[in-house]
Amino acid sequence: MSNPTIVEAHNLTVVYGRKPALWNVDFELPEKQVIGIMGPNGSGKSTLLKSIMGVVEPTSGFTKVYDQELSEVRDRVSYVPQRQDIDWDFPASVWDIVSMGRFQKRGLFKKLTAEDKDIITESLEKVNMLGFSKRQISQLSGGQQQRVFLARAIAQQGDLFLMDEPFAGVDIATEEMIISLLKEMKTAGKTLVIVHHDLHTAQSYFDHLVLLNTRLVASGPTQDVFTDQILTDTYGGKLTTIAKISQELENKEFPIRYK
Amino acid sequence: MELWEHITTFFSAENYTLFIVSIGSGILCLAAGAVGTFTYLRKRALIGDVISHSVLPGIAIAFMLTGVKNPLYFLLGAVVSGLISIWIVDYVQAKSKLKLDTILALTLSVFFGVGVVLLTKIQHGGNAAQSGLDSFLFGKAASMNLLDVKLFSIIALVNVACIAVFLRSFSLISFDESYAKGIGFNVKLLKGFLALLTVMTVAIGVQAVGVVLMAALLITPAAGARYLTNSIPRMLVISGSFGFASGLIGVFISYSGAGMPTGPWIVIVLSAFALVAILFGKKRGVFARRRVKKNNHIKINNENVLKDIYKVGSQGTKTITINELIKKEKYPPKLLISTLKRLEKIDHVGLVRGMIILSDKGRLAAREVIRKHRLWEIYLSKYFQLDADHLHDDAEGIEHVITPEIEIELIKLLERPEKDPHQSEIPY
Repeated sequence: MSNPTIVEAHNLTVVYGRKPALWNVDFELPEKQVIGIMGPNGSGKSTLLKSIMGVVEPTSGFTKVYDQELSEVRDRVSYVPQRQDIDWDFPASVWDIVSMGRFQKRGLFKKLTAEDKDIITESLEKVNMLGFSKRQISQLSGGQQQRVFLARAIAQQGDLFLMDEPFAGVDIATEEMIISLLKEMKTAGKTLVIVHHDLHTAQSYFDHLVLLNTRLVASGPTQDVFTDQILTDTYGGKLTTIAKISQELENKEFPIRYK
Repeated sequence: MELWEHITTFFSAENYTLFIVSIGSGILCLAAGAVGTFTYLRKRALIGDVISHSVLPGIAIAFMLTGVKNPLYFLLGAVVSGLISIWIVDYVQAKSKLKLDTILALTLSVFFGVGVVLLTKIQHGGNAAQSGLDSFLFGKAASMNLLDVKLFSIIALVNVACIAVFLRSFSLISFDESYAKGIGFNVKLLKGFLALLTVMTVAIGVQAVGVVLMAALLITPAAGARYLTNSIPRMLVISGSFGFASGLIGVFISYSGAGMPTGPWIVIVLSAFALVAILFGKKRGVFARRRVKKNNHIKINNENVLKDIYKVGSQGTKTITINELIKKEKYPPKLLISTLKRLEKIDHVGLVRGMIILSDKGRLAAREVIRKHRLWEIYLSKYFQLDADHLHDDAEGIEHVITPEIEIELIKLLERPEKDPHQSEIPY
């Protein structure tokens, strides 16, 4: 039952300054699954998502979605950035934020239509936030903020969802709601790629795992990849040599490769 | 009426030029307020200051190259050197380990220093046309001619129109740049365009208030407007109106008194507007917050007194006197009387000759407070390892905070308990 590939990374390398955040990462992700991207702090999880999404330019290598350049299929990809990166004391209501999910379709200038408004309403309903439409975003709890971001992604109506730490700092009720929503979306044929932190829940949440520590440690079905050996490799400190090398590259300004 | 005389002369035909100047300044400040809203929202307040100081060398070089005081050349020079300063800030930030505040401070002083050196050189250069060039330091709104005003107003209005058209994208990149990139908006181009609008506005604004005060024109109206609204379109309108009114009033004041400077007056009026907004903003304002605090205190006092009337009067079955209450609960008499009077007004109690009669409404309210108190005690003792003698003090505070929704949740969670940890009954 191997599903066709939806996301492919080839030799993906992203360097900030001199320090590699991602280093020669290769993998293929199957369609219509819930996929976890995991690894310790600073292992390049967010960077990976951002480079698939075109937010960060790869230093070398590439990613493809549906075997095409992202720009060709961007309307099929929904993105949930990390909630903590945002200043929530911003003059906007819940409705304003979820409306952004329709901007891709309507572009810079076109007005939102009645159809858009229906979609926004539905998306809010799906995350149980319709009653909060007019609420100022500065008054939301962490869990509610995450729901709003999720609703915005749903309003984009993509087939592939890329989510950066949707479970970080949310309450249990929100986590349970998101998980059941994810399962529902998977049944509806969506693919979900999720940057995740918590090892305890990994097995029950994900069908497929990508384990990162700057370089790719493993990528495959959860039952194959979630082994003591691989987890020790990823988290167990045996790979701190990678971090030391990265620090050397940064401090002494070595190039990562000659071009 | 001296003031009225001022106003009528101000608007009379013989002062047509002055009238035009004031409208011109108003429109300038309106544009600055509108563009500045995004400078503020993107937390680039200091970059506004950098740009306004960095246009000075551009203006000086424009004069040195052309030898004439043409506002169009000045504008061009100002825009070019303003854009270069932004580019330098971005470039150095990306390529070096210097912190942003260091880069901003350095860029600002270097550009401003070069500008002042060039101006001094021009002044000693013997070109007669140079007189008045130094007014770019503090502005010269009052001496703008009609051509200047027309040119500046057109540019200002074009800026405002661009903001209206690009409202969606500018709001989006201010809130969440990654997302904007993720959905395929050309963020680099949009940021560049917004920067261009900002630099253009600054370039014309410095002609009115000078480089030193220009940053105030960008940031102050937006900072004030933020206290009055939670929506970006409304913020733009309020911020622009603050700017427009300040421009008008500033010119008027400087015209009324001999030798009064225009730019500084515009900024003073603007600051006054902002201050009023910060103090009186409906939700975020200083006084609004104070009112919230005061109302909380009133609520706490009301509920505490009600609760004690109920308890001292054997669960509301016995009428008690004010003296009894003072003796038992040790209230400061003054506070107690004022609280009782407030409770009488909302029909929670009746006061007759020193006696306190609890009404049905008051009885229910008292039971509600006691119920919340005891529910909270149960919650604490059940889920947190708290000793029984620590529960009461905590609940004394929280009983006033629990909303009806949270109360329902508590009752559900605790499965509608009958007794609290001290074996007192919970009044439902």
